Amino acid sequence: MQSEPKGGGITDETLSVVPPVVTSPSDVVVSCRNLTKRYGDLVAVDDISFSLQAGTVTGYLGPNGAGKTTTLRLLLGLAEPTSGEAFVFGGRYRELEQPIRQVGAVLESNDFHPARSGRDHLRMLALAARLPLRRVDEVLELVELGGAARRRVRTYSLGMRQRLGLAAALLGDPQLLILDEPANGLDPAGVRWLRKFLQTFAGEGRTVLVSSHLLAEVAQTVDHVVIIDRGRLLARGRLDELTSTGQSLEDVYLELTDGDAS
Amino acid sequence: MIGNLRSELLKQRSTQTTVYLFLAMFALVALAVTMHVVALGADDLSSRTNQLEVFQVGTRAGMLFAGLAGAIAFTAELRYGTIRPTFLVTPGRGPVLAAKLAVGVLVGLVFGLVAEAFMVGDAAVAFAARGIDNELTGGDYVQLLTGGAASAALWAAAGVGVGALIRNQVAALVGLCAWMFVVESTSESFVPGFGRLLPGSAGLALAGNTDDLSAAVAALLLVLYAAVAAAFGWRVTLRRDIP
Repeated sequence: MQSEPKGGGITDETLSVVPPVVTSPSDVVVSCRNLTKRYGDLVAVDDISFSLQAGTVTGYLGPNGAGKTTTLRLLLGLAEPTSGEAFVFGGRYRELEQPIRQVGAVLESNDFHPARSGRDHLRMLALAARLPLRRVDEVLELVELGGAARRRVRTYSLGMRQRLGLAAALLGDPQLLILDEPANGLDPAGVRWLRKFLQTFAGEGRTVLVSSHLLAEVAQTVDHVVIIDRGRLLARGRLDELTSTGQSLEDVYLELTDGDAS
Repeated sequence: MIGNLRSELLKQRSTQTTVYLFLAMFALVALAVTMHVVALGADDLSSRTNQLEVFQVGTRAGMLFAGLAGAIAFTAELRYGTIRPTFLVTPGRGPVLAAKLAVGVLVGLVFGLVAEAFMVGDAAVAFAARGIDNELTGGDYVQLLTGGAASAALWAAAGVGVGALIRNQVAALVGLCAWMFVVESTSESFVPGFGRLLPGSAGLALAGNTDDLSAAVAALLLVLYAAVAAAFGWRVTLRRDIP
């Protein structure tokens, strides 16, 4: 399904920095409504609302500890919200029939058993998902890990681990990719590879949500941004509109997060 | 569910953890059997009852290592973070746990059988070396192998539950070892008549090493312990957030 990126891909009636655009609900791939997660007194995610349209690439930005990863964990059913809701494709992740056929996600860059081969890591996931095992070799080729597939993960470089994680996320040929800091620790070649990969993925009309604090990199890859700090939503909208006054994404971000006041 | 089972079997086969556990178990059994046979006087080794006592080593080792394997099956996923991709594929989580229990029982059976068989061979050599006759009957051997395998299988299931409950790998493994070597062996002196009801002692009775409990009662107790541990682990796993 080819779907053009829509204006105002991130919509909300109350807080949006761009004028709300009426869109068909079927185009909404990710939606958080009044999403809140508390750990005792700490409010990790504080009443966050946003939604993503199909075909958009969104940067989810904020300082360390802003609540980015927690939001993604809530979206992916790894954690339960204290209140509010986090939906993918109109429902809770944990209630999707075959989630990895719709959503691919990488939360940590090193979620592998060091003594297991990259191929076996993917095979154990493919088996559980009842995907054909030839899909494992396909995604290994896709992320250019075919040559190292039978080696143990402990021999992999950080860049290879990032790509193996990505391969796992791609097993189910998903329409939505959720990545937490995918460029962390990548060398320049790896960063470029990832950027091209995400552009190709989005070019097929699929949706990407990528958290990051590498603003220069984000500015080259995404068309929408959501900025949070201390669990609260600060801004969201199209990147070109957010920076239309001539400010760079970095300027906007630092202004919003008070990062320049240190 | 079939997919989850095949996935868990591959997880077991695709690392060397289980192999190392078997090697450690062999070393422990060999050491313990040798120490018993060397240290005990010939009079203490001559009767069938005494020999069955010595054969506790295999039953205990089978149960302990099966329990460790079960606990590792869960805690390794948290330790290495594979729990995240695992639960992204199966966000209901229940099928993962069910598959871990089933594979745990299977692996536990093998641990129990291998431990008893290894110990029987070990003891035969050690007895022969000291010129002591083996007094065990064919029925004793059958009960050692079947009871030992069943006890280990149930310990493995309990181990999965304990792992899911405690989550921290080191704590779970140390806890299981401490249970087997400290709690089980000292409880009788604190609360007489109670120690024989604990899971380790129940396993020994089921394998025929002791006659503190009937085999039926021992089996029932072990099933109960495994079910309770698995149920608590299940409940916690379905509710708790994944880091």
